[in-house]
Amino acid sequence: MKPAFRTRRAILGVVMTAFVSVSLPAFVARAETTPPDELVKKLASEMTAAVRADPELQNPGSTKISDLVQKMVVPRFDFERITQIAMGRNWTKADPSQQKAIVTEFSRLLTRTYQNAIANLKDLDVNVKATKATTPNVDVTVKTEMLGRPQPVAIDYNLINGPNGWRVYDVSVQGISLVAAYRDEFTGLVSSSGVDGLIESLRKKNGS
Amino acid sequence: MRRVVLSLLLVACALGSAGAPDRAWAAPKKPVNQPEAPLVDVGEAEPPPPADFLEPVNRVTFAFNDGLDLLVVNPLVTVWTALLPSVVRTGVSNVFNNLDDVYVGVNHVLQGNGNRAALDFERLAVNTTVGLGGLFDVGAKMGIAKTDADFGQTLGVWGVPVGSYFVLPLIGPSTLRDAAGRTVRIATDPRTYLQPVPSYSLVGAEYVELRAEAKANEGLIAASSLDRYVFVRNLYLQRRALLVKAGQDAATGK
Repeated sequence: MKPAFRTRRAILGVVMTAFVSVSLPAFVARAETTPPDELVKKLASEMTAAVRADPELQNPGSTKISDLVQKMVVPRFDFERITQIAMGRNWTKADPSQQKAIVTEFSRLLTRTYQNAIANLKDLDVNVKATKATTPNVDVTVKTEMLGRPQPVAIDYNLINGPNGWRVYDVSVQGISLVAAYRDEFTGLVSSSGVDGLIESLRKKNGS
Repeated sequence: MRRVVLSLLLVACALGSAGAPDRAWAAPKKPVNQPEAPLVDVGEAEPPPPADFLEPVNRVTFAFNDGLDLLVVNPLVTVWTALLPSVVRTGVSNVFNNLDDVYVGVNHVLQGNGNRAALDFERLAVNTTVGLGGLFDVGAKMGIAKTDADFGQTLGVWGVPVGSYFVLPLIGPSTLRDAAGRTVRIATDPRTYLQPVPSYSLVGAEYVELRAEAKANEGLIAASSLDRYVFVRNLYLQRRALLVKAGQDAATGK
């Protein structure tokens, strides 16, 4: 009985240790993730500060901009989810390698668009107004307003809480969803020229 | 707000120009008919494709508007912004806004939003008198910001279906419903009944000023869209559906 008991305890110990060592870091990592409103605020304030501090970032062609965007912006966006929503029901028509290609090309397109707009940030300020949870702790909308134009512009960020913390999956300007706008384009292109045609259009737009 | 919207619309129009039924966006969510579960829970049903029965004609008008914008309107905008100091442009824009406030107030009444209409008329009174015929937006400084309402939106609030997306020559994105609203607006605009020269100059001035204000946003649309016609159609329809929804919510006191 005793040895059996000991063995069982030993096993339990190993299992517990394994459990703790696996789950604890996960738990700690989760506890450290920035809440969505702070993430948006940080993203906006870091970017405006960076653009104001460095005149080179005000030139859309500069390589510094793409470095900055790759480092500070890209990790905070969930491009896979963005692409899936934009694809809608066509997502399942694409095979895994096509899916991968669409995500890659679409994120390039969005990143490039964002880079081109960055220079404008030098005269703008972003004010985080409210956070509305669609599903608490899972799916939220952070409402902000952009100040510096004659009238404030409402910009809303939709974020989802995944394994890597909160990530943006849609941006709406004055209530107009960017991903929804792309969904119509994607649907049109897939129905006229197929999934490969869509990939081709994206590549062309990206200049490759 | 109105500026931004108008500038977006003008960009849209300038770039050439949709008609999902507003109701579709507000409709209860239906499960998407998918053979396999999606990798992510997309969360909401896809809206039905936009109603655009006139697409072949619309695309031609869109291209025509594009060409006109490039060859005629843009050069005018360049001259306009070079000649006029920004303080004059603000004044011009304020005067047109003040005229528009008459329509905004009337439409808020028609939509059953009396509270907002009262504020619109207060703005109008203050800006027309203290603001010297609308040259200065005193109302905004008093805390009554300009809002937006039009006949097309009112028809939507009343439940008139959107019809189809419809690109108007010169004006750009519209729907059959919005075109009807615009017709009412033009028919009731005092500028319509002036002698041709002052009439066209005044309408032209507003057009060029709005186009100038839209300059800031046009690059984004050109750089990011795969099919600009579809992109602009979607932006326009999303925006109009939101305005109609906001009008309905305001009328029912939500």
